[in-house]
Amino acid sequence: MSAPHSREPAAGGTPRAMTPAERRRAPDPRAAADWTARQTAETNLRALVGRAYPRVRGMFREPSWLFFEIFLPFLGTSAYVLVYRALRAPEAYVGFVVLGGALSAFWLNVVWSMAGQLYWEKSQGNLELYFAAPMSLMSVLLGMAAGGLAMSSTRAVAVLAISALVYAVPFHVAQWWLVAAVFALTLTALYGLGMMLASLFLLWGREAWHLTNVMVEPVYFVSGLNFPVGRLGAVGIAAIATIPFAVGLDAMRQLAFPGSGLLTGTPTPEAEALILVAMTVLFSVAAHWSMGVIERMARSRGSLSIRWQ
Amino acid sequence: MAVTAGGIGDSRRVEGLGLADTARHAWAALLLGWRVESNWADPVLFAIYTVIRPVSSMLLLTMMVAIVGGSADASSRTFVILGSALWAMLVSGLAGPAWSVLEDRERYRTLKYLYTSGATLLVLLVGRGGSRLLIGAMGSLVAILVAVALLGLRIDPAAVDWPLLLAAMLLGLPPVLALGIGLAAVCLQTRQESWNYPDAFSGAMFLVSGVVFPLAVLPRPLEALGLLNPVTWWVAGVRRAIIPGGPSSIGGAGSLWTAVTGTDAPGPAVILGALFLTGAVTTLVATALFRGSERRARDQGLLDRTTGS
Repeated sequence: MSAPHSREPAAGGTPRAMTPAERRRAPDPRAAADWTARQTAETNLRALVGRAYPRVRGMFREPSWLFFEIFLPFLGTSAYVLVYRALRAPEAYVGFVVLGGALSAFWLNVVWSMAGQLYWEKSQGNLELYFAAPMSLMSVLLGMAAGGLAMSSTRAVAVLAISALVYAVPFHVAQWWLVAAVFALTLTALYGLGMMLASLFLLWGREAWHLTNVMVEPVYFVSGLNFPVGRLGAVGIAAIATIPFAVGLDAMRQLAFPGSGLLTGTPTPEAEALILVAMTVLFSVAAHWSMGVIERMARSRGSLSIRWQ
Repeated sequence: MAVTAGGIGDSRRVEGLGLADTARHAWAALLLGWRVESNWADPVLFAIYTVIRPVSSMLLLTMMVAIVGGSADASSRTFVILGSALWAMLVSGLAGPAWSVLEDRERYRTLKYLYTSGATLLVLLVGRGGSRLLIGAMGSLVAILVAVALLGLRIDPAAVDWPLLLAAMLLGLPPVLALGIGLAAVCLQTRQESWNYPDAFSGAMFLVSGVVFPLAVLPRPLEALGLLNPVTWWVAGVRRAIIPGGPSSIGGAGSLWTAVTGTDAPGPAVILGALFLTGAVTTLVATALFRGSERRARDQGLLDRTTGS
């Protein structure tokens, strides 16, 4: 007799683990479809891990990624550092550029690998499978976020470390716990926004592809990628109120360069942390709601998830 | 059966590689690229989309110069604004062929059909890249107009060296497309994740092209690399044509150019000669790289490979 949580293969070999669907024996299909909370949670967790897996694994299968995603972005960041050096700007600006260059990895990942991803999955024909599978689409989005986070963290850490060493950036962090909290909140708000945009971009169809393109440089500008966002006045304040990248970057700069005297006109890091909390909640709820709308539309119209529709 | 020129049985029809055929294929690819890039939105939205990226990039750099304030003089400001406006065209030219490979292979899944058509893949990609270059040129033009209207960039049409501008454009754009073809060769071998590669590559080129700061700021090896880069000479030629007498990105105090040649800055003839030489070498190398990549892609079955992560 086989173990209760494993199933013997048809012909020899090691027994494989039973899926949550197999584990609960039911007298009829209707009863089988009535999952327990544990079965649902396990399935969603497996979906999350399964969706994150190709992103993490893919990093090791594409060696060119190291060159194009780490070395070249470092050179790109260096270009902006040298702009300030050519202008004989105070050295603190070099630190602003390096921090912006590192955090931009997450924004790029949100734009390219989150916001446009469901539309991309639709083009590839995977989206129908997602809708048909017995799991929450939020777990797929969270898996995408987790995998993307692993990819972009590597790039961000590398750019930050190399640039800080090469350009001797003087970080003066006094409140490490707050830096860690702001960083974590920035990521949750950013990927929450990414999950929300993924549904919206799916609705907008082909335009979504182009929208991802225009979400890079304009957002860099209004978020103050290479300069204190407070210098943009009302535009900067509006960015801090709406774009997690802007508020997270400004808070991190205030915490990493506290005595520079160049970061004025924006809320304190503590207040910006609260803004990030609000953004995280708002974007996550909005993502959950919009995904529900998308799922209902896909099932009722039958065309939303099909390629070229 | 009698074989008539251009009729059934004429081997030239099968080969289809005459100059006229090549030009026809390139034109068809250019038109196709233009339609793919432009017909997703109404003209007004498309125009906004076309200019928003270059204008944002330009504003980002202008803001950096403006923040530094007193230490940056008017000539530095003009130097940065003009260079950043031109950059949009270069980024489009670099990204065009690479994105065409990724779009046609992974999104539209038509690369294998295009490959078996009468046109060569190289010609098709030059055409597709050319359409993106055109769109980038529109963006650059509008960015320059915005800079003149809003940022105080002074361009005197009577003082512009039109023959130099025309010559720099004619000699400079083919190597830009060639660099894009080189990137397309890389993307033929890599996966869907290569969407970011053109942006990363252009970011690195930003460092060694003298676009927004003089090459003299760079360490000597990088400065020498910049002098071998056709984009450096293209930008220098266009800049000198539009603002004659403005600061040079190549020569000046402490530069490698001045140390070797003893002159303050290269003249128009030298710029065009260097642009021709570096452009020719780049074009030959990129073409050879693409041929090798194309051969390997055909052998390894990469032309219809689709990936996802």
